Amino acid sequence: MTTVNIISLNKTYPNQSAPVLKDFSLSIRDGEMIALLGPSGMGKSTLLKLITGIERPDSGDIQFDGSSILTVDPNKRGAVLMFQKSYLFPFLNVEDNIGFGLKMQSAPLQTIRAEVKRMLKLIGLPGIESRKPGQLSGGEQQRVALARALVTNPKLLLLDEPLSSLDTEVRMNLQEAIRVIQRELGVTTIFVTHDLGEAMAMSDRMALLLNGEIVALDTPETLFHRPRSLAAARFMGVSTFLNADQLPVKNEAGSVSKKLFAIRPEHIRVQKEGCDQSMPGVVSDCVFRGEYVEYLVEVGDMNVRARMSMPAPMFGHGEHVYVKFPRENLFEIEN
Amino acid sequence: MRTILAYSLRFILYLILIAPILLFITYAFSTRWFFPQTFPVEWTASTVQRAIQDSRTFSSITQGLMISMLVSIFSLLLGFPAARVLGLRKFRGRQLIWLLFFLPTVVPPLAIGMGLNILFLRIGLAGTVTGVVLAHIIPTLPYTIFTLSSAFARYDENYEFQALALGASPLQSFLKVTLRMLLPSLVVAALFAFLISWSQYLLTLLIGGGQVITLPILLFAAASGGNPATIATLSLLFIAPPVLVIVATARQLNQHGAGIREQY
Repeated sequence: MTTVNIISLNKTYPNQSAPVLKDFSLSIRDGEMIALLGPSGMGKSTLLKLITGIERPDSGDIQFDGSSILTVDPNKRGAVLMFQKSYLFPFLNVEDNIGFGLKMQSAPLQTIRAEVKRMLKLIGLPGIESRKPGQLSGGEQQRVALARALVTNPKLLLLDEPLSSLDTEVRMNLQEAIRVIQRELGVTTIFVTHDLGEAMAMSDRMALLLNGEIVALDTPETLFHRPRSLAAARFMGVSTFLNADQLPVKNEAGSVSKKLFAIRPEHIRVQKEGCDQSMPGVVSDCVFRGEYVEYLVEVGDMNVRARMSMPAPMFGHGEHVYVKFPRENLFEIEN
Repeated sequence: MRTILAYSLRFILYLILIAPILLFITYAFSTRWFFPQTFPVEWTASTVQRAIQDSRTFSSITQGLMISMLVSIFSLLLGFPAARVLGLRKFRGRQLIWLLFFLPTVVPPLAIGMGLNILFLRIGLAGTVTGVVLAHIIPTLPYTIFTLSSAFARYDENYEFQALALGASPLQSFLKVTLRMLLPSLVVAALFAFLISWSQYLLTLLIGGGQVITLPILLFAAASGGNPATIATLSLLFIAPPVLVIVATARQLNQHGAGIREQY
């Protein structure tokens, strides 16, 4: 059981001017699953490489339970990795793949056997010991890779977009499986992804990463409902930002003009009739998405993206509508 | 229709491969086979017996085998790191290094041999097995590097990182993962080096200077001597190791290749 402290890490690759990680700090609690969310090439994978020791940081420190691991060899750090590809050794069968880590520790053969059996049960694939990785489906391969990573009782589990090459259904199953197994074993986990839904579904806390820096760090609920900065709000799918003087209703008179307010697309109402707190606009697009309808409405010089769950009215292009920003759903963000 | 075509093509291919060997066998075990006889009329094993029992034949084979094996080993040792860097990394001057490694295949061996001969005479390596081994590495190295670097280009270092993260030491990771993953290509590269060295005549002659006698040297001497039966016998001995090695490894390599391909 491990707490992880990452302290002002800096990393710039040779031949690159911009740093991949800038003064990056992050504390992870014991047994916590933390998601690193950010677009590709924003230093997520680099961070994992620094933690496992594949790369060395330019400066800063990484500590497990309060002691630095930078001087520890990669194979003694106890941080295991799981990638988008399973990287199961193709020449070994499932049993030998899962048992690889234990064999490296020269564990007795019986222990390895028993542990492999236990892990296979845990990942829900009992009895496939003798199969070769090539005979498994993508989802099964990832499950075996997870078992192989966890069998050594690692201090830290690093997941580098482990689900992004899988079909939606398999992915959902594995999201659940990983979450359940992670909780059961209580292993501290860093989960890297660019998928917002996945990050929210799987993590205790989420860190939003942009240009090598964390722009926000909080529980998925808080970040979703009340992101505090503009960058964080954009990350979380908020696209409507209103200055105080643009608000249809001036709730507080006077010194509010500098403030910026945001609203989630699900909370914006698009309707035929005008009412209190609404503004007139013209529909530029209206897309039926099954569970919800997505609207793009021009309100003054703003493009407002709204999302209403079914049943929702459909509007034609160019139709005049009213857009309502319910006061209780508006929140203030730092500009 | 297609299967008939495939089978006949296959038949022709096998015929092309086997016909010279059959011809050699016929020559080796016959005597006084003259035009216009279609087949020899006098069969005898005495020439073969004589050639095999000749101590020079035996020593040339053992010496050749030893040289070729050493060349294979050193080519792999030298070629492996170079191939790894060329196959996995992108860096400035990579093309130039490629060219440099491939130069020996373009430069006439006579030029290399003459130059090396003078150098080796000076440093006392001329006429020694060490000298011949070193000289053979020059033409074999490009092939080992080429074979291994294309294997590395398909290789993914993450397998090694995975092994390290799972607690394998760098040495364990190298032995149990890297070498195992590259095994088919390593075998092919070693075979290349072996065969090139085994059939090397010019460099052996120039550097060995008559002190180091391998089978090709003996064969050339016999060829200028002119007894067809002796030539055929030596030729059969000469092609035996390559044929044996390929027959022994082809099936295994093929299976292994299929296993690896499944992964990609």
